[in-house]
Amino acid sequence: MSRPLVIAVGAALVLGAGQTVAQQPRFDHERHHLLFPTCTSCHVEPATGAGSLYPDPAMCASCHDGTIQPRVSWEPPGPRRTNLRFDHALAAHMAPKNGVEPPRCVDCHERDGTTWMAVERVNFKNCLGCHGVKTEHLAAPDSACSVCHFPLAQAKDLTREDVAAFPAPPSHHEHDWASLHGRAARSGEAGAQVAASCATCHAREFCLTCHVDAPERPAIQAMPADPRSTAISVRISAPASHQDATFLTRHGAAARRAPAQCSTCHARESCLTCHAGTPRVAARIPARGPGRGVGVVLERRPPAFHGASFADDHRAMALSEPATCGGCHVRADCLDCHRPGAGAGTGYHPAGFLARHPAAAYARETSCSECHNTAGFCADCHKAAGLVSTGPLRPGYHDANGAFIVGHGQAARQSLETCVSCHAERDCLTCHSALGGRRFDPHGPGFDAAQLLRKNPQMCTVCHGTAIPTP
Amino acid sequence: MRTRLRCLGLAWVLLAVFARDGGAQGYRIRIDTRAQAVSYRGVLLDSVPIADTVTGATGGTTTSSGFEATCTPGVAYCTFFQPGPEEHANPLTSTADLTLFGLGVRGLSVRTSARLGTALGGDPWPGTDPPTQLLEGYAQYARRYLTLQVGRQTVTSRLGFSTFDGGRVTVRAPSRGLELTAYGGWGVWNGSILPVTSAALNPLGDYRPPERTITAGAGAAWTTRLLDLHWSYEREVDPSVDYFVSERTGIEGLLHVSRGLSLSGGADYDLAEGWWGSAEATLAYTTPNGRINGSAGIRRYRPHFDLWTIWGAFAPVPYTAYDGSLTVSPTRRLQLHVDGEHYAYATANAESPLVTVDTTGWRFSWDATYTVTRRWSVDGGYRAEFGPGASSRGFQGSVTYAAGDRVALGIQGATLDRPLEFRYDESSTQMFGVFAHCQPSSRLRVELDASRYSENRQRPDPAAFDWDQLRVSARVVLMFSSGELAGLPPAVRRMPAGPEGDP
Repeated sequence: MSRPLVIAVGAALVLGAGQTVAQQPRFDHERHHLLFPTCTSCHVEPATGAGSLYPDPAMCASCHDGTIQPRVSWEPPGPRRTNLRFDHALAAHMAPKNGVEPPRCVDCHERDGTTWMAVERVNFKNCLGCHGVKTEHLAAPDSACSVCHFPLAQAKDLTREDVAAFPAPPSHHEHDWASLHGRAARSGEAGAQVAASCATCHAREFCLTCHVDAPERPAIQAMPADPRSTAISVRISAPASHQDATFLTRHGAAARRAPAQCSTCHARESCLTCHAGTPRVAARIPARGPGRGVGVVLERRPPAFHGASFADDHRAMALSEPATCGGCHVRADCLDCHRPGAGAGTGYHPAGFLARHPAAAYARETSCSECHNTAGFCADCHKAAGLVSTGPLRPGYHDANGAFIVGHGQAARQSLETCVSCHAERDCLTCHSALGGRRFDPHGPGFDAAQLLRKNPQMCTVCHGTAIPTP
Repeated sequence: MRTRLRCLGLAWVLLAVFARDGGAQGYRIRIDTRAQAVSYRGVLLDSVPIADTVTGATGGTTTSSGFEATCTPGVAYCTFFQPGPEEHANPLTSTADLTLFGLGVRGLSVRTSARLGTALGGDPWPGTDPPTQLLEGYAQYARRYLTLQVGRQTVTSRLGFSTFDGGRVTVRAPSRGLELTAYGGWGVWNGSILPVTSAALNPLGDYRPPERTITAGAGAAWTTRLLDLHWSYEREVDPSVDYFVSERTGIEGLLHVSRGLSLSGGADYDLAEGWWGSAEATLAYTTPNGRINGSAGIRRYRPHFDLWTIWGAFAPVPYTAYDGSLTVSPTRRLQLHVDGEHYAYATANAESPLVTVDTTGWRFSWDATYTVTRRWSVDGGYRAEFGPGASSRGFQGSVTYAAGDRVALGIQGATLDRPLEFRYDESSTQMFGVFAHCQPSSRLRVELDASRYSENRQRPDPAAFDWDQLRVSARVVLMFSSGELAGLPPAVRRMPAGPEGDP
């Protein structure tokens, strides 16, 4: 049996089987080593360079007929999917070259050279040795890959599953390979824009898994396109620089200094996830689009200092560093609360505020009436809860203090808004009117009678009738 | 009830269809619907013959069983409240915001915001009368130097929020940071979207103007890199008598002294009453790394009353407060915050030995937030306030699990003790609740909250009932928009130049 044929048969059986999906029961070559003196005893057709690499199953039945030996079931595998350039059919016609004999089957397939028919799929050392490669298979230099392998885009028979099963070279496990692989991709043979070793397993679509800046990268553009390349999934961790505790506050300077570096992984949408109010900061970062990767998908999370009570506490920061707020927020965010009728909305007051609102409202911790109509919101609810006056001031509600009616003036002047959330004007006019009742003068410090008379004399007539005193 | 719900559903469908087929190049509809289930202890107004009342220990009138009673001279009976059966209310409010843009005229857009409110059984709910309310609805023509708005709209200024049905014009010189605005129209009452003549805003039967007030105002703004200055003026007139309802002016500004350091302040003057209203000044500082920020300020608060009421003539006195706050983030995971305020009322000239009234008060709170992991955070704090009229103190805390914008789950709890001055209701409350917020897509947000309040009212009379209640709420926010919004993250859609920003 000629060596080329042996190589052809062995390589087909071993490597080819490795790329097929349906695995056949493997023929135990060693167990039959006494029966077959040559490889071509069974692998006849390859010797001619035509036909199947495998013997006819009927040959097995010549011994395994149920009498001499038990019957066996074996079928030759179907058409195999591979990215190997090696073709056993062509090998059958190889001739000595420069005094070197063509390889024999055993040159590639024998395991240790001591036992006949002790073969394996491919003894890579032998293959690589003949081709002058002195490294492990997957560590072979860039120029060596294309000797045996087609680029992925040309290996049309491979399925996505086949691609996904490609072994990763040891270089890919190096620390920070995500940062180093670009240089490796550009270190191919002279004149090539991308290393051939990359194209053996990858295509442009794989690069687009991450690279937002694919159009700006010649190496990526030099890669052939093949959607099957995305069958290889990749998970990249953030670079070491991003792990720094202050990176979030410092990343702006880095982005201004070298936006191209950011755009390797980040599209403009990454920036705008937070920088909604300042889109200009992302102007130099390309947006997602055809031919570009989606890039890192960021989640917009409030920073740690946005604690649960931040809605109440944000005033100082908003005043001193509005630009910081504007990095993530737009005016519409403010208007969710800072608008009329916001009382019907949610989110401003902390949980349980209903229970504690009397204290906050009594001394006007905030200006309640900016969001809540005192009549439609406060008085209406108080009325439903029975918290309204049913007549003039009486002691029943106010601590049952019988003297409250005559001593309430100070409390009323200090917190008049609270009083009127339960009391109507007529309650007070019972006593505080010049037209009747006890005629108590309600006017206090700062009261400008002349001014009020000028602006709205009708109000004066409520208590004074037409006899409004001249200020 | 069923009819209302059908109308509500039909209205939103029509809104969506109109927006889809209305010929606009772009539209956005945001429907925010919230339903609540609330239960609480009711009160029952009862009466007792005056002859059956007695004088209580504090000098007031009580029933023989100990209920505080209110008696009116000349009336043969007194009234009192006693605990009533448990009440239930199930309000449903739905707010729809619609924006149409790309109407064929560059800069032209239409914006509306309307709310439907109803009660799904149980008691009526404040703010749901009338059931249909137009919050805003105006056409806007906006260009670089000019903005025109016509319709129901809201102006935000130093003087608060002013909503009116009318027009507004704004001119600006962007290169110089100048902006002038003037507006006018028929006003609605502050803090609402209903005119002052609305019966829904008159639960106590106050005296009201017979006609809607007319609102007019103006403003100016000057913005530079270091300074932001705003002046506002607004008047309201009762057209039935041509008298002022209010007339105020105010100014406020913000000065960026240096990076992280700002001085802000403002004041308003009540031209109608002839006195200064509220004012404040605050100095705030944030360190460059954002780890520390603090503020110190002084503020003055005086309530504002319209001149159709008599309350201004009662001369409400202002208080002056000194406040400070400090927030420190010693690590990225931990934030500590403390703030406090002390305030003192001006002399009321109505002091009486018969009733002791405090004139000063203070507020204090601290809280801490610890971000355990990217998704877990714990928050807790304490709040106390003591002052005239009311005081409270209590702890609150929560544990939250948040997966980005998508999901947030948490539990929360709080305690509260609130002794109230001048009236009963010293009470202790414990609250425990859970919440879940989910945003499966940028077009849908769902929020669920449930809280149990356990309140013990420590009244010294038979009305010392427990006011336990359960509150459950569900909120659904839907977003419909023209195709160009599809797939964009929320932050992009809300960019000023984005499809949801200012067209």
